[in-house]
Amino acid sequence: MLKLIAKRMGLMVVMLLGLAVITFTIANVAPGDPARLAAGPDANQAMVEQIRVERGFDRPLPVRFVLYVDQLLHGDFGSSVYTGRPVARDIAQFLPATVELVLFSISIAIVLGVPLGVIAAVRQNKPIDHAIRLLSVSGVALPMFWLGLMLQWYLALDLGLFPLGGRLGIFTDVPEPITGMISIDALLRGQFAVAGEALWHMVLPATALSFPALAAIIRVNRAEMLEVLGRDYVTNARAQGIGPWRIIAVYSLKNAILPTLAMIGLRFGWMLGGTVLVEGVFDFPGLGLYAAKAAVSSDFEPIMAVTLTLGAAFMLINLVIDLLYAVLDPRVRNQI
Amino acid sequence: MTLRRLSSALTAAAVALSLAMPAQAVEKKDNQFWMVIGGRQPVSHIDPGQSYDYAIRMMTQALYDGLVKYTGNPPTVEPWLATNWETSDDGLTWTFHLAENATFHNGDPVTAEAVVYSYRRTLEMNEGVAWMLSDVVQPDNITALDEHTVQFVLDRPYAPFLSFLPWWFVVNPAQVEANVVDGDFGKAWLAENDAGSGPYMLERFDQGTAYWLKRNADYWKGFPYENEDMGGIIYRLIRESASQRAALISGEADLVTDLTPEEIETVGARPDVETTSTPALTSFGLKMNTQGEHMSDINLRKAVAYAFDYDTFVQVYNGNAKLQTSAFTDAVQGKVDVEMPRQDLEKAKEYLAKSKYPEGGITLEYVYVQGLEQQRQMGLSLLNSLRDLNIELEMVPLTWPNMVARAADVEQSPDLMAIFATPVSTDPDAVAIQYHPSSHGKYYGSHYLDDAELNAMIEEARSLSDWEERAPIYAGIQQKIVDLQPEIFGMMRQRMFAYRDYVNGYSDSPIRMTSEVDLYPLYIQPK
Repeated sequence: MLKLIAKRMGLMVVMLLGLAVITFTIANVAPGDPARLAAGPDANQAMVEQIRVERGFDRPLPVRFVLYVDQLLHGDFGSSVYTGRPVARDIAQFLPATVELVLFSISIAIVLGVPLGVIAAVRQNKPIDHAIRLLSVSGVALPMFWLGLMLQWYLALDLGLFPLGGRLGIFTDVPEPITGMISIDALLRGQFAVAGEALWHMVLPATALSFPALAAIIRVNRAEMLEVLGRDYVTNARAQGIGPWRIIAVYSLKNAILPTLAMIGLRFGWMLGGTVLVEGVFDFPGLGLYAAKAAVSSDFEPIMAVTLTLGAAFMLINLVIDLLYAVLDPRVRNQI
Repeated sequence: MTLRRLSSALTAAAVALSLAMPAQAVEKKDNQFWMVIGGRQPVSHIDPGQSYDYAIRMMTQALYDGLVKYTGNPPTVEPWLATNWETSDDGLTWTFHLAENATFHNGDPVTAEAVVYSYRRTLEMNEGVAWMLSDVVQPDNITALDEHTVQFVLDRPYAPFLSFLPWWFVVNPAQVEANVVDGDFGKAWLAENDAGSGPYMLERFDQGTAYWLKRNADYWKGFPYENEDMGGIIYRLIRESASQRAALISGEADLVTDLTPEEIETVGARPDVETTSTPALTSFGLKMNTQGEHMSDINLRKAVAYAFDYDTFVQVYNGNAKLQTSAFTDAVQGKVDVEMPRQDLEKAKEYLAKSKYPEGGITLEYVYVQGLEQQRQMGLSLLNSLRDLNIELEMVPLTWPNMVARAADVEQSPDLMAIFATPVSTDPDAVAIQYHPSSHGKYYGSHYLDDAELNAMIEEARSLSDWEERAPIYAGIQQKIVDLQPEIFGMMRQRMFAYRDYVNGYSDSPIRMTSEVDLYPLYIQPK
C-alpha cells in the first residue's frame, strides 16, 4: 500500500510538470497583453514597458518557463499583475470556500443519490422509478447556471427562504479562520449560529452544483444495483429468508457502490473546477470566480497556480478513491 | 416498509431544509445605516498612485482628497484641499493654498509637504495617473513654499494642467513611509490600507467579496447633508446583472450599477426604486484602422460612415443615448456642432465609387466585446447596411484583453472596432489627444490616425493657456477629425443607476466613469 502511494506521488510530480508546460504554453501563446491592461487605459508606452520588464514579459518563453519553475520550487506562486497580491494568499483565501461548497454539494449528491438509486432499482419500472428517472434526466439536461438563477429567483427572492448569495450575511462576522471553511471553523469555535448561517448560504448554490452529480450517481447506482440484485447469491439470500433491508444494504449495496464511488471521485474533481458558474450567480467568493477573472484578464501567475492546484487536487482525489477501492474490495486489496 | 420510510424521511429532510431563517434587513449596524452598493467589478487595490478603473476610482475618491475635485454637470473643478490658487502670466508657475483645517484619518494635518510627497511618489512610480503630468512637470519642481502652500513649476505651458489634478490624491507620508518594504513606495501596504483624509475611512478590505468604508464623521470639510445616522458604505460584489436586480428588489443592495437598459426600466417601474439616466462624457464609436489594408482609403471610410444606420445607436439603448454631433461629446469644453455623416446611401455609393474598391467585393472585420449584446446588434445593423455596397462584414467577438492586444498593434488593429472612451478631463485636449499619434497603441488609438495638419493643431492648442486663443483651434480640430473620418462617430450613452427610494443625495457628473458613483454626498434617510 505504501509503495503504491509513493509510486503514485512520483507520477503526480511528472504529471504536474506536464500540466505546467501545457498551461504555460497556452497562457502565453494566447493573445492578450496583460502589461498594457495592468498599466491602465491611458498609460503611455513607457509605463507599459516598465511593467513588461518588471514582470519579465519581455524575455523569451523558455527562459520564462525555467524562471517560473524555479520560483515554484521555492514555494512562490508569484503575484497578480493587477492587484499585486501574492497568489498563494489568494488561493489560501478562495480555495477553502470552493472546497467547502463542493464538499457540501457532493454530500447532498451522495446522501440523496445513493438511496434514490437504490429505490429506483428496487422499484424498477414502478412510478417512483419513473419519477426518479425524471430527476436524473433533468440533472443532465438543465444548465447549472440557469438552475442557479431559477433557484435564486424563486426560493430566495420571491419566497425569501434563502439568501441571494454570499457566504454569510453581510453583517455577520466571519469566525477566525482555522480551515478557511466558514461552517467548519464556526463549528470548531462553537459558533453554532454562524455555522448554520454559512450552511444556509450554501443550500442554493450547492443544490445547483450537486444536480448533475446527483443525476450521475442515481443512474450509476441504479444500474449497478439492478445488476447485483439479479445475481444468484442475492436470490440465495432471499431463499434463506434474510430480510429485504439487509439484502439491499449489506449484500447488494456494498458490491454495487464501487462504480458509484469512482463516479463520485470524478465528479468531485470536476466540481472543483466547475464551480465558476454557480459561484458567479451566487457571488460565492471561491476559486472558480478567481480563476475566471484571471483567465479573462490574462493574469498569468494566478492562471498557472489555479491550474496546478486543481490538477493536484484532482490527482489526490483519484488516489484516495483508489485506496478506498482497496478498502472496500478485497480483490483489489490483494493486487497491491 | 423500511424503504418507504426512508423515502419519506428524505422528503421530511427536504422540507426541514426549507424552514428558513428570514432574510435580514441589511442597512443597520450598531444603530447606523450602512448603504450597500452592488457592483460587478472587484476593487484591485485602493492605492491612488497605482492603476485606476471605475471601482478603484470610486474607492479612492471617497478615501482621499485631491487639491481640487470635479462636481456637477457640466463638470467643474471645485476647490478642495486647495482653497484657492494662482497662475503666473507665462502659465508655468501654479501656486496652491491649502485648507488649514484638513487632517488625515489618523489626525495628522494635511500639509504642503504631504502634497509634494504624494505627487512625487506617483511620478516616480510612473503608474496610474502619472502619464497625465509626467512630461510636463519634473518631481523636483513640485515644492512646498510653506506649510500650506504648494508650488508647481511646469516645463512648458500646459493648459489642461488643472483639469487633471482632481485625480491626484494626497496620501499621508508618515503612514506610507512607515510601511515601505524594499523600496516599493508602500505599494503593497497602500493596496489594502488607507492613508487618506477623505470623507470615508477603510473599515474592511475583503477581496473578492466586499469593501467596507466607514464614514469619517469628523471629516474636515463636513458633509453636504445633516444626518448623523449614516455609518458607512459597503461596496459589495454582485457579479451577474440578474443577481444585482434581485438584490436591489430584495433590499440586499441599496444602489446598483451596470444594469442593462431593460433591467433599469423593469426595476424603475417599482414604487420603491428610483432610477437615474444622465449624460456622460463617454463617447462610443466604431474606430477604423486608417493604416489598415482597406480603411487607409478615406473614400471607403466615408462610404461606410454614410451607409450606417445611425438610429441603431439610440435604439439598442432604448433611447438612453444621444448621437454625437461632433468628434467631442457634449460636456467637453469648447465643443461645437459639426455636420456629421448620417445614413445616405447615394452619398455612400458616390464615395465607394471614388475608392479603391468601386464595386465593393471586400470583407471588413468588425471586432466587438464578447457578450455585449448592444455591440452585436450594432454589428448586425452595419452588416445589413454594407450589403447595399456589396461589402461583407465579418463579426468577431473578442474578450476585452484580446481587443486591447489587437488595438496595440497597427498590423493587427481591425477594420472596425467598437470602442467606448471616457476622457479623464473636460479639457478638450483630453479628447483631441485621442486622435494624435501619441495615442497609438492604446485601445482608443486603434484608428492609427496620423495627420500632420491635425497633429500640429492639437500640439499648438495644448500649449496655449488663453482659452480665447484655444477655443477656435478646437473648433477647427473637431471639424478636421470629422473630415478625416477615423471612425463611425457614435453616441453618448447615458449613465444609469437604480437605487432604493431611501437613498438620498445622489449627484452625478458626466466626468465619472461609466459605473462610477461619487460616494461623498450619498446618505440613507428612511421615508
